Amino acid sequence: MLHLPLDIFIGLVLIASIISGFLGSLVGLGGGTFLVPIYTLFLGIPIAYATGASLISTIATSSGAASAYVRDRITNVKIGMGLEIATTTGSILGSLTAAYIYAHHLAYIVYIIFGLVLLSQIYVQLKKSSLELPRPMKPDWTTRIFKLYGEYYDEALNQTVKYHGVRWWLGEIIMLFAGYVSGLLGIGSGALKVLGMDWAMNLPMKVSTTTSNFMIGVTAASGSAIYWFSGLIQPILAGFTALGVLLGAMMGSRVLPKITNRLIRYIFTAILAFLGIEMVLRGFGVIH
Amino acid sequence: MPRQIAFEDLIGWALRVGVLISATLIIFGIILIVVHHGAGYYQLSQLFSIHSIVNTSSLPVSYINASSLSHLNGLAYVLLGLIVLMATPIMRVAIGIAQFSHERDWLYTLITAIVFMNLMLAIFVIPALVLHH
Repeated sequence: MLHLPLDIFIGLVLIASIISGFLGSLVGLGGGTFLVPIYTLFLGIPIAYATGASLISTIATSSGAASAYVRDRITNVKIGMGLEIATTTGSILGSLTAAYIYAHHLAYIVYIIFGLVLLSQIYVQLKKSSLELPRPMKPDWTTRIFKLYGEYYDEALNQTVKYHGVRWWLGEIIMLFAGYVSGLLGIGSGALKVLGMDWAMNLPMKVSTTTSNFMIGVTAASGSAIYWFSGLIQPILAGFTALGVLLGAMMGSRVLPKITNRLIRYIFTAILAFLGIEMVLRGFGVIH
Repeated sequence: MPRQIAFEDLIGWALRVGVLISATLIIFGIILIVVHHGAGYYQLSQLFSIHSIVNTSSLPVSYINASSLSHLNGLAYVLLGLIVLMATPIMRVAIGIAQFSHERDWLYTLITAIVFMNLMLAIFVIPALVLHH
């Protein structure tokens, strides 16, 4: 562990939080991806407090960026809310089975499956990386019933993008798994949420990341009471983290409308590789 | 669709105000802790240590009360700021119920109500079930 003077330590916490909020708001991820490894590996913060700060950072990313995205009308609140049924249910199931999973030392299997799912999607992402907007698929019965239509004005393309989602049921199944992983491992699983909308429901990348951004806040809030009572939240660390992440997320939300879907996908794919490897390594006990 | 636009503006506005109040409370609380060299029974060095013994398992929500707030206990203000932040997504779901029912979109009113119920379950019921042992 590093022995840093307090002001430098706080400065590093703030810088890490700003970067985390900035990237998280672009690709629809919470704090678990960047913040937990930086906090534990580089700053020597105990994993319990890093996890608690990560929950706070996920909500800060979500709410900090959301006020801008709602104004820009990129987030599809209907699609997000429909999928939240599965994530909140999954997260409750995850919390309820956590004791059993940990008692039987099964958490490593979940980490490995989660990691492999993410890594397997890199190919899918690269194949789509030449496309600015998804190839339209034929609307199915779920498109009609759940009104999976939307449009937003894309500043990078200078045009209004009309889109529709398909395969709502497949999205729900992925979200159930995403919610379960969140409840069990205490990570926001924003990457799975983006994949559920991008790959399963064929939505434009920006709609997927901003809608995931909305959803991670709700999923994280569902874990807030358990985190609080378990003593995972160290108020001062969580406080500085919240301030940095809010600032970063607000900056990110100003950048997102102006950059292309392709660039967002490139950043997302790089993070997918990083996160997938991280989860597999955790599963094999190489890192904790 | 002017009705829908008004609601989206309301959500955006509510989120901005919530985030702003939260950040203000956290900054105010940290300043108070630094000025007072601590908060309540805790010293500054205890609060600012990464291996701090001060965490939410020993700080019930009732730590934030009229007495701690009126005595300008910085820790109480930081905790209040964190709670306001954690409440913003819940508030957004609650406004969503009002929005969809106002639009007479009953399918999405029901969906949002289920999400809200799940949230309440996860916050008020599940911790008691899970943390008992």
